[in-house]
Amino acid sequence: MSEIYDIGYRHYDGPRLGRAHTTLALGVHSLRGVFGLGRPARSKIMPFSLAAVMMFPVVVSIAMMALVQQRLGDYSGYAVVMQAVIAIFLASQSPTVVAPDLRHRVLPLYLSRPVTIAEYVGAKVAAMTVAMFLLVAVPLTVMFIGDLLVDLPGPPPTGEYLGAVAMAAVLSVLLSTIGLALAALTPRRGLGVASVITVYLLSTGAAPMIFAALYSTGHDAAAAWAWLINPFWLVDAVQAGLFGTTQHIPEGSYPGGPVPALIVLALIAAAVAVLAARYRKAAAQ
Amino acid sequence: MHILAIEGLTKRFPTVTALDRLTVTAGPGVTGLVGANGAGKSTLIKILLGLLPVSEGRATVLGLDAFTQGAEIRRLVGYMPEHECLPPDVSATELVVHLARMSGLPRTAARERAADVLRHVGLAEERYRPIGGYSTGMKQRVKLAQALVHDPKLIFLDEPTNGLDPRGRDEMLTLIRRIGTEFGISVLVTSHLLGELERVCDHVIVIDAGRLLRSSALTEFTQATESITVEVEEGADALAGRLAELGQTVSPLGRTLLVEVRGPETYDAVRDAAADLDLCLIRLEQGRQRIEDVFREEAARV
Ligand SMILES: Nc1ncnc2c1ncn2[C@@H]1O[C@H](COP(=O)(O)OP(=O)(O)O)[C@@H](O)[C@H]1O
Ligand SMILES: [Mg+2]
Repeated sequence: MSEIYDIGYRHYDGPRLGRAHTTLALGVHSLRGVFGLGRPARSKIMPFSLAAVMMFPVVVSIAMMALVQQRLGDYSGYAVVMQAVIAIFLASQSPTVVAPDLRHRVLPLYLSRPVTIAEYVGAKVAAMTVAMFLLVAVPLTVMFIGDLLVDLPGPPPTGEYLGAVAMAAVLSVLLSTIGLALAALTPRRGLGVASVITVYLLSTGAAPMIFAALYSTGHDAAAAWAWLINPFWLVDAVQAGLFGTTQHIPEGSYPGGPVPALIVLALIAAAVAVLAARYRKAAAQ
Repeated sequence: MHILAIEGLTKRFPTVTALDRLTVTAGPGVTGLVGANGAGKSTLIKILLGLLPVSEGRATVLGLDAFTQGAEIRRLVGYMPEHECLPPDVSATELVVHLARMSGLPRTAARERAADVLRHVGLAEERYRPIGGYSTGMKQRVKLAQALVHDPKLIFLDEPTNGLDPRGRDEMLTLIRRIGTEFGISVLVTSHLLGELERVCDHVIVIDAGRLLRSSALTEFTQATESITVEVEEGADALAGRLAELGQTVSPLGRTLLVEVRGPETYDAVRDAAADLDLCLIRLEQGRQRIEDVFREEAARV
């Protein structure tokens, strides 16, 4: 018999998983979205091109180690050197994580389910953080593996590599909370991209200008703080303070002590507060 | 057992009291919640989902307290919002599978359930295309499918016929009736049109400015509201006069006439009157009386 029967409505009596599963599923779904996985091909172009650009210095560095027995740069400076690429990734991909649900008012479909607003925002932040971390830590790790394989004279820079990976995690949390907060405030995708990139360019442009202005007027101590306006130099300052690594700034030096680390924490807290306020408002609609 | 039990519920927003000491219950089956725009229907649904704090009173949904057991309630109910809520660049299948997982279904079960409910709401091949290209009717079906995908015990449908053409409206209403009967899922459905809900509900609750106006089984309603809307290009006054002569009860409503239905002879009378006066009949519609008019009628009778 080959007829197709309309079997009518069937009830579901299988398992219903808890909120930990739901949140994890949302996080994975969002992370895939950052890289355009499960999306049309054009959504993959930007994230994968930028990820490929991030690999470029890695390839050159490994080639140089193999051919002329020299490292291209140090592990601790990788994020600072590549900051423009990382910032573009943040700007172009943050809106994909938060903007559609806000713009098209999809949130009620989540909130009428067991998912809470805190779990929703938490999953989004975690997804963006993991994406940023992969963007920075994968090239570092490939470079380190290359380093071990080439086996240059002297001990491998394992400590510096691990420190750089730890700092990549800190940088990822900082960037993703700020990026998502800005993108959530400007739910039109184009505006979201523009706002993140503008904030980055302002911070990058302002830091050396303020430094030069203060330095030339004899305020050397105050000038040191100017670098911390840029998130990449801010995290570099934390790294230098923790591990004594090179300070990757054009001139001068970072202020010492725990203050750079406290600024990182304060910025993360502020960005999370903005996200919480934005989503509390969206949830009330 | 009561599916919903609402007692002395008051919700005050800074400038308006959306619900005013509302006390009402609803049993299994299809319950209509009718009220004009701003009557408090959507506010009530959000409270029942445990998403909106209230000023006073209490409410239980499926025996669970809406203020303390919201998470449990949201596990057991489905919700179709009144406004547009669909991302345009994903397909219906992707969205409904994802939302099934957000209700706690494992991946494979989510896929199976999504395919099932999309079929039940009548979305065929188009379910693989991005939602942005769908008609309003198709979008409403996707919204309904996501509310059903986790097999809830009760669904809240907020103005599901909004924006639909007469045919889409009929199909949606038929679907709602099937959900309440064949699927065995209780339904609370809102509308600002009493007439359309009469066809599908077992019970109707009417609210106005957050207050209960009426709550009764359907049969008690029908007589009061069975009427047809007649619209002619011009000559409405002449038609009203002629229908009155023919013994019909007619009241003008804007550019249209509302004619109380006595039986089949009412339709004959409209046809004959229009033909006699040589009028151009552009609309003849059943049971689409606006709720405001029921209020007006009731107020006039009191
Ligand atoms: N978040 C809100 N803030 C302030 N007033 C609101 C809010 N939501 C609804 N209202 C008001 O509450 C009343 C009831 O609204 P609503 O429940 O949406 O009515 P309905 O769904 O019956 O059209 C309206 O006067 C509306 O303006
Ligand atoms: Mg409403």
